[in-house]
Amino acid sequence: MVRFKNRYVLCEVVSEDPRCRQCIEERALGLAVRDAIARVHGDYGLACCSVSFTVKYLNAYTGTVLLRCRKDSYRLLCSALPFVRHLESRAQRYPCFLNTLHVGGTIRTCQKFLIQYNRTQLLRLLQNCTNEEERQCIQKSLLSCSLTEEQSQSGDEEEDDGTE
Amino acid sequence: AAAFERRVLRRAAEHHYLRVRLELPDGGARPNAAQFKQLVVTALRELHGEVGAALPVDVLTYEEKTLSAILRVVSSGLVKLWSALTLLGFYQNRRCAFRVLQTSPFLLALSGSSRELVL
Repeated sequence: MVRFKNRYVLCEVVSEDPRCRQCIEERALGLAVRDAIARVHGDYGLACCSVSFTVKYLNAYTGTVLLRCRKDSYRLLCSALPFVRHLESRAQRYPCFLNTLHVGGTIRTCQKFLIQYNRTQLLRLLQNCTNEEERQCIQKSLLSCSLTEEQSQSGDEEEDDGTE
Repeated sequence: AAAFERRVLRRAAEHHYLRVRLELPDGGARPNAAQFKQLVVTALRELHGEVGAALPVDVLTYEEKTLSAILRVVSSGLVKLWSALTLLGFYQNRRCAFRVLQTSPFLLALSGSSRELVL
């Protein structure tokens, strides 16, 4: 069995500035990550990691990012992710950092992990709620994302957005 | 009769030593020792980034007249250093090239070279 194996790195973009969300796009993020790899690992590292590098999935509401790279160079990529300090797009630059959540071999394993992670995050948000209407809001969205017997089965489970 | 025993050391030595010569074809100002080290670190930074520039490289001897030096590097970084020296092309916008004359995990081996034997 000879095939090219990939690694999918799941991260989330964390920023104090709420306007950073509009900056989260594929092109801006791809450029920021490539720039960080070039700084940390030089021309050789940049060329190694760029072979099969793409931003596979992006969710601006939750700040979830899924990056793909070759299995031989995923360590270079993961070690360069803490050096991403800003995201730039349309002449706006916001400070942020990337949190690595999971590294998987296929998109399916990353999706399974993300569903599980979002479930625990929602419960934690519910615990940390300060006022009553936020609590009601989150409870409503939690109850509405359970499996029903209609046609839309489990489509939106992992895309559920947690406020803040 | 004593039994024959052979020992093989896999990760032989911690450091590798290289005897290199810098070729500057145009006759201009020659770099001194500090500038030479700066050049080596710059070459590592261009090819291997900050991680490469942080590699522990030492210039043990340097002769400004012949522009030759003996470098010492951790064994795990030999490939990075040698590839960076190979691909360095410019020193202060002047064409230059590094020639690696000898390399060995033992410093004593660099003292003589069988190419310069007078038979």
